[in-house]
Amino acid sequence: MAKSGLDRVRKTLSPVLYFLIFVVIWQLIVIIFNIKEFVLPSPITVFRHLFDSEIAVKYHWWRHIGATLMEVIVSFALTAVLGISIAILITWSKLFNQLISPIIILFNSLPKIALAPLFLIWFGYGFIPNIMVAFLVAFFPVVINTVAGLNDVDEDLLDLVRYLNASKKDIFLKIRIPNSLPYIFAGLKISATMCVVGSIVGEFIAAEKGLGYLLRDAQAFIDTPTMFACLLLLSAIGITLFNTIGLLEKVSMPWNTNEVQK
Amino acid sequence: MGSVSFDVYPGEFVSIVGPSGCGKTTLLKIIAGLLPESEGDIIFDNEMFDPSREVGFVFQKALLLNWRKVLDNVLLPIEILKLDKKKYVQKAIDLLELVGLKGFENSYPNELSGGMQQRVSLARALIHDPKLILMDEPFGALDAITREKMNLELQRIWADSKKTILFITHEINEAVFLSDRVVVLSARPSRMVGAMDIEFERPRTLEVRTSPKFGEHAAEVYKMLEIT
Repeated sequence: MAKSGLDRVRKTLSPVLYFLIFVVIWQLIVIIFNIKEFVLPSPITVFRHLFDSEIAVKYHWWRHIGATLMEVIVSFALTAVLGISIAILITWSKLFNQLISPIIILFNSLPKIALAPLFLIWFGYGFIPNIMVAFLVAFFPVVINTVAGLNDVDEDLLDLVRYLNASKKDIFLKIRIPNSLPYIFAGLKISATMCVVGSIVGEFIAAEKGLGYLLRDAQAFIDTPTMFACLLLLSAIGITLFNTIGLLEKVSMPWNTNEVQK
Repeated sequence: MGSVSFDVYPGEFVSIVGPSGCGKTTLLKIIAGLLPESEGDIIFDNEMFDPSREVGFVFQKALLLNWRKVLDNVLLPIEILKLDKKKYVQKAIDLLELVGLKGFENSYPNELSGGMQQRVSLARALIHDPKLILMDEPFGALDAITREKMNLELQRIWADSKKTILFITHEINEAVFLSDRVVVLSARPSRMVGAMDIEFERPRTLEVRTSPKFGEHAAEVYKMLEIT
């Protein structure tokens, strides 16, 4: 018990430790090679942009973080709900599969980010087009993974409930859907990262707030420390979302963690 | 599949032996209503029967649902048949005790060994009180030692539960040891080549296999299968 507690401490500490080592090396490189701030700012400069009350206040960090976070969360929720629902419909009905699959394959083959300028014309500025881009980029991994999970059921397992005259609904609720959970979570983890990418791309093209907007704005003034600060915040958003899903995965599949602990 | 015809009496333990590809599994699936019979009937107590109520199926793989605890795995047929689950919880606990898994109700399948998983699937096949248990090489995936143990256990469970068992295997010794009657099928053409009554006293111990009579029975099956 004491050992597993120690293991847990080590597990949570090691990423922090890696991060600290990374920051120290970064700082040393900047000092040793005397690198100009607009090429590579030192971590101290970047952190001061984020946390020093006098400098930080003019960037309105919370406003931009809030905007991007909102886009990421809404687009991710949309992706998860629609992605899983459509995957279930595709496996449920052959007709629906034949109707919708060609459209999905066609859309998936498009470079979806390239649609962002078009959305600017259709949906205007800001929130809506940004979540549309994020949704389009992140949607497919969830659908594809969920469909794979719903179909990856042992044929004998289906026989086991079929001879008991199981309804299609029961086969989905009691077998196919629980069976697809690991696949769904794998898909959600991929799409979470993609939601961040999509939101940023949307903000690059047309927005008046958000970290993507700030990143581009700072670039116009060659304000490299602000750009690095934005990157840091964006990866923090990505990591938080990713870990939240990981946590959700552990909670909703207790039988899996048992296996891992063994 | 060619023509196959044999009787199974209530409470009997009947094995079907035959090489791979002789249609043993197909036969069980037809009985369970998973495949349509092209010709002929399954007559049960002189009438056509509803396999979903009268049959418990044990497959070669335990086929437990990973996400369900052992108790809920046993109760799966009750849910599928839309019976009142509450009434069967105690029965599920009793069945788990019968198969030697008392105290494992709240374990997950991946915490159990292969033999234990197959015991759970046996309890699951018994939960809705079917008259006929179909077993499709249930111990085929187990190691030899576990398999012998499971043979003895199965004999005890069969005697306690008073079910009729139709048991498929390609292990001739296993069939002779367990059965009241052995039905032999051949492959290509797939047809029934014979049946044989086995009349050792019950309960049988593993020693019965060293008796001359046991050897004669086994030899006869080998002969029917044209392995000489």
